[in-house]
Amino acid sequence: MTSSPAETGAQLLQRFTQAASTFAKPRPVQVDMLVQFDDLPVLVRIRDGRVAEIVEKGVALQSWDFAVKGTAEGWSKFWLATPPAGWHDLLALNKRRVFTIEGHLHPLMAHLQFIKDLLASPREVAA
Amino acid sequence: MSVSLEPIVGRYTTFAIKGKQCRVYFEEAGSGIPLVCLHTAGADNRQYRHMMNDPEITSRYRVLAFDMPWHGKSYPPEGWQDTEYKLSTALYVETVMAFCAALELERPVVIGCSIGGRIVLQLGHLHSDKFRALIGVEAADHQQPWYDTSWLHRGDVHGGEVCAALVSGLVAPQSPAVHRHETLWQYMQGGPGIFKGDLYFYRVDSDLRGKLTGIRTDLCPLYLLTGEYDFSCTPEDTLRTADSIPGAAVTVMREVGHFPMSENPVQFRKYLLPVLERIQGK
Repeated sequence: MTSSPAETGAQLLQRFTQAASTFAKPRPVQVDMLVQFDDLPVLVRIRDGRVAEIVEKGVALQSWDFAVKGTAEGWSKFWLATPPAGWHDLLALNKRRVFTIEGHLHPLMAHLQFIKDLLASPREVAA
Repeated sequence: MSVSLEPIVGRYTTFAIKGKQCRVYFEEAGSGIPLVCLHTAGADNRQYRHMMNDPEITSRYRVLAFDMPWHGKSYPPEGWQDTEYKLSTALYVETVMAFCAALELERPVVIGCSIGGRIVLQLGHLHSDKFRALIGVEAADHQQPWYDTSWLHRGDVHGGEVCAALVSGLVAPQSPAVHRHETLWQYMQGGPGIFKGDLYFYRVDSDLRGKLTGIRTDLCPLYLLTGEYDFSCTPEDTLRTADSIPGAAVTVMREVGHFPMSENPVQFRKYLLPVLERIQGK
């Protein structure tokens, strides 16, 4: 599958949900993370290193530890099998202000590679 | 039964740096023009193992890579337990010069990556007559910070894990998984606070913008090689730096990031071998 930079937030969310729902690593991660695809936020609950729940609606008034918000173009390029330089990493995207990272950052930094891998899980496989 | 041994030999030597005796570990392979290799912040000389195992290089160069004090198998100087490690520009220059003197290297070539690339610029500025050539990999006179270094050393975040996770994005997506994870393992093994202490040099003490007028590329050629996927020291950072140094030669390397010699040695040698060829021919 080849991504189009024009993917909508809903399409990006669908890709994320499909890939991330089964994401798990043997690591004691307990995090509530808000992820936003363009203007579409979802709450990702991680328990015992496993994605326990992805809540697509009803985010209002729900608390979360930290948020990762990105533009549709950012997520689409980030998930290409070979992302272009500067669009290939969560912090590269944050540096170029395509992604923003907000909130209580301790759980993010304590489990940074886990979160990076989870957010990259919809990435296409190189042919 | 035959024993398969790599040509790399590891030794220890002790010499003074800023008045303190330091027992320093180094590895070497090959013979010919001495080529001193400087590892990145928070890492160690294992980053250069591929160059030391490359007969195309070791047939012409004596490749030496040392662990900076506090790194790898080099201990901190005696009394370290009562101090906070902070690398400064002056200490770094003296460390490199002291290693070259201790090994009695005559006009060596120095190659350094990241912080090693930055100090290569300062070595050229201060001591162009002491080196045959300088190679700065991922080198710039300054670059914009992209995270808060206080995360690197605190009680409630594993230092090795967060260091590796932060720099993992600096490895290009094309780099082979085995080399990517070997590179990150080196970061996981650094001593507590050492990556942060190296970055004191990088972030605080070595803004070299406008201060490199002493570099004499007619005496000591300067080659700058930067990976296109390095968003810490970007190709634009290196190109801007080169603009201020008459005679500096710049190449932007495709499909590598911040750790070329370690993350993708096959790709890196495509760029390094022509540079070594030119240096040998001078």
